[in-house]
Amino acid sequence: MTRYIVRRVLGAIPVLFGLSIVLFAFIHLLPGDPATAILGQHATAQRIADMRAYLGLNDPLPIQYVGYLGDLLRGDFGSSFINNQPVLAEFLRRFPGTVELTLAAMIFAAGVGIPLGRFAARHAQRWPDGAVTVFSLLGISIPVFVLGLTLQVIFAVYFKVLPASGRLDPRTALDLQTNFVLIDTWLMPGWTFDQKLSAFIDGVRHLILPAIALGSIPLAIITRITRASVIEVANEDYVRTARAKGLRERRIDDRHIMRNAWLPVVTVIGLQVGGLLGGAVITETVFAWNGVGRWVVDAIGNRDYFVVQSTILIFALIFLAVNLIVDIAYAFINPRIRYA
Amino acid sequence: MALLSVDGLVVRFRTHEGTIHAVNGVSFDLDEGETLGIVGESGCGKSVTSLAIMRLLPKPAGRIEGGTVRFDGQDLLACSEAEMREMRGRDIAMIFQDPMTSLNPVLTIEEQMVETIQAHRKVGNEEARTRAIELLTIVGIPQPENRLRAFPHQFSGGMRQRVMIAMALALEPKLLIADEPTTALDVTIQAQVLELLQRLTTETGTAAILITHDLGVVAGMTQRINVMYAGYIVETAPTAELFAKPSHPYTVGLLHSIPRLDAVQGEELIPIEGAPPDQRRAPVGCPFAPRCAWRLPDCWTTNPPLVPVRAAEAVVTTGPGATHRMACHNPPTAGEAAAGRPLREGFVAAPPPSAVADELALVVP
Amino acid sequence: MTAPSVAIARVAPRASRGLWGDAARRLLRNRVAMVGVVFIVLFAGTAIFASWIAPYDPNAGALANSLQAPSSAHFMGTDIQGRDELSRVLYGARISLLVGLGSVIVGVFLGGTIGAIAGAVGGRVDNVLMRVVDVLLAIPGILLAIGIVAWLDRGLPQITIAVAVTNAPIFARLLRGGLLAVREADYVVAARSVGVPSRRLLLRHMLPNSLTPIIVAATLALATAIIDVAGLGFLGLGPADPRTAEWGTMLQDSTKFLRSAQYLIFFPGLAIVISAVGFNLLGDGLRESLDPRLKK
Repeated sequence: MTRYIVRRVLGAIPVLFGLSIVLFAFIHLLPGDPATAILGQHATAQRIADMRAYLGLNDPLPIQYVGYLGDLLRGDFGSSFINNQPVLAEFLRRFPGTVELTLAAMIFAAGVGIPLGRFAARHAQRWPDGAVTVFSLLGISIPVFVLGLTLQVIFAVYFKVLPASGRLDPRTALDLQTNFVLIDTWLMPGWTFDQKLSAFIDGVRHLILPAIALGSIPLAIITRITRASVIEVANEDYVRTARAKGLRERRIDDRHIMRNAWLPVVTVIGLQVGGLLGGAVITETVFAWNGVGRWVVDAIGNRDYFVVQSTILIFALIFLAVNLIVDIAYAFINPRIRYA
Repeated sequence: MALLSVDGLVVRFRTHEGTIHAVNGVSFDLDEGETLGIVGESGCGKSVTSLAIMRLLPKPAGRIEGGTVRFDGQDLLACSEAEMREMRGRDIAMIFQDPMTSLNPVLTIEEQMVETIQAHRKVGNEEARTRAIELLTIVGIPQPENRLRAFPHQFSGGMRQRVMIAMALALEPKLLIADEPTTALDVTIQAQVLELLQRLTTETGTAAILITHDLGVVAGMTQRINVMYAGYIVETAPTAELFAKPSHPYTVGLLHSIPRLDAVQGEELIPIEGAPPDQRRAPVGCPFAPRCAWRLPDCWTTNPPLVPVRAAEAVVTTGPGATHRMACHNPPTAGEAAAGRPLREGFVAAPPPSAVADELALVVP
Repeated sequence: MTAPSVAIARVAPRASRGLWGDAARRLLRNRVAMVGVVFIVLFAGTAIFASWIAPYDPNAGALANSLQAPSSAHFMGTDIQGRDELSRVLYGARISLLVGLGSVIVGVFLGGTIGAIAGAVGGRVDNVLMRVVDVLLAIPGILLAIGIVAWLDRGLPQITIAVAVTNAPIFARLLRGGLLAVREADYVVAARSVGVPSRRLLLRHMLPNSLTPIIVAATLALATAIIDVAGLGFLGLGPADPRTAEWGTMLQDSTKFLRSAQYLIFFPGLAIVISAVGFNLLGDGLRESLDPRLKK
């Protein structure tokens, strides 16, 4: 087991190395002169010279790469040319917003998708199954932004039951400490419990539509996988054995079917994290959600390459880390690997 | 009264491809403590019969469409699902073909054994565990206390089947159905597992149905044999009698298609030509007719009933004196059975009637 | 001996028309896939014949006609510039089809080449190529596309390449996996043992068997590609000329009228969903039909 974990961790190293090369190329091999590309046509000669020095553009590429890698390891992800602020600090300030949204979307997707998949599997080949299949087909066919806009029109404009955008009512004066709105509402000094609670509920209400929009694709995928997995496991010999032993259907479902059907679902949930982080970029744009995604979209408009680079790097790191954790968790819940 | 009484059982599967006529009216009885072999090729309905008795046919395709199954005085087909569930494992237990796939890979042996016991007896975990250890000891698994915590993949095939046997016998059922219990095992292990099964069922007085495609397996294990073909019982007799006087062409064919240690030097193996009939069609005539060397014109149109070999004999369905019965219009004589082919001067198997022949001309180039 | 043939004749199998013939027949009988085909024909037909069926010039509009609700004159209303929304949706299909199809073709070619080299050569080459694929897969697809467009600048060829690169890893993995699985398969070992030349082995025996998952994945990738292209447009990374009728860009423009002109969201959104549903349905149908083992 330990050996398995060590092997999986070591296996990630070449990918990290490859990732650093890709991002190095992204900055240092920008078409034309990288410094000019980063700073724009109207930058002063002095600023361009400074940028060239910072990037070490006069050195041969391998030296540039070593310098680049050193910067990354020191946590220097470059500075935004818009306000000259270090990119990493701004990223970390905005990241909790993205995490809040992504987690909510994932909870929605798994929380609805797994029961829905089980439900469809239980009624396989009959109409509830067909309905779920159509539902998941629509789920993967509706882009996040189309669904997001549609939800806004229906629930915010037409029925006016949920807010259309933002993370909190703009009239609420909330001091951000952790940058997680749902946590900060409880940390607000001087607020009564009722104030904290109503602000918290307001935060949750703002979260609902974006989370649904972002979670719809993972929801569809998790539903499909759960359904297929449950149907497959339900046809296994050991389920027949369990029935022949006279076990209750409830126990057969929970212990014998789900314990096995879980395994592929767990893997797929891990793989959805990448899609969720990518989808968050669009969702945040639709819902004016103050997270990393909106920041990076603005950055593209401004050609703020360091911002784009840091986002790609950190999102990829998170994706790799989550899947590493999922793989290890998978090994823990699957005795065939744990005791291999 | 017989422990198990199956009468006119009909099972069909409704699939996208049409209806599969899996079991077409099977009747047999089984006494307490008796061992019965059901023999036939794959697809002959032997496993389906056993799943039907357990009411474990795959849903929703498999349906019992006729007949009755009485067990211990109860009509199983009229039982509620809850009543049936209580009986499964406690009164009727089952062992399946592949021990690799019949145990749940993510649950420990302990959990799978304990849940079986606790499903039917109100006992604590410790007591159930003790019973599980006892059972594993009985089936010959070394260090049962330690092995209890292991997962199925940590056992060999033979050991897994021992675990299955231990689990099946956990509640001392009245009837044990073993569906090809040794087919997936190495030849050397097969004999051990069969011996174990035989010893345990004899010791506990458990009635057993042993389902197999291998006449060699049932020869030493069972008191009586049903030979099944295409969803019908085509011959039934006490084991010794069946081997001594096979009376149905199919049984004759089966006996001649397996190598025997006691065979006369140079005796050739005679394979049964052809394949079992397409069970998507409602059966017409004798199902074995297309492959039969003894067939008469009648065989194409009328399915012979299961009747005593010695005419006018009163039918006894169970026990050592059970009547030898078979379903054939033109049974092979003793000499023919020994030779494995018709010996009558000038006898030619009847060609298919013209309706069937026309159809042939269309399909076969 | 007639007995066995009787038994076989009673089964009366339909004559097989070979792998592809059987697959085609199964596909044609697959009602779900055929619904998909109808959607795709609708989409592709619109794209091809846009200039004939569009009632107006998609880029011509008078401000006097700005933001008109759907009417008999403008079936889908008009946008802020007074341009006919229907004509823009119809023309938008062109961009989606062109860039979507182009990116999948480039992606299959790119990924297929990587996968074929990795699978055929094996060893260290395989290892390096697959790590490259892992890197690309680690970056969330849309973010990778954003990065590439940011790097290459806006424009249809750039978008095509960006979406192609996000698709390529899937095809690389599929083809490599297929080749590796097939390389050790009994029938390939058998063909090799009777001296079938390796080129012929690769082309006649190995590729066709690795191809079916690629065809399925490519069809499903068309759905994602259309969505991704629109997504880039929605983020402001659409065609170089911002006036071009492109569904994602049109949706971005319409977000300002969330409260006044919802039809500007509804119609382009519906167009994207219909095309994506079409390819997803066909892809699922193909998966069922092309796999001879997966008969219903």
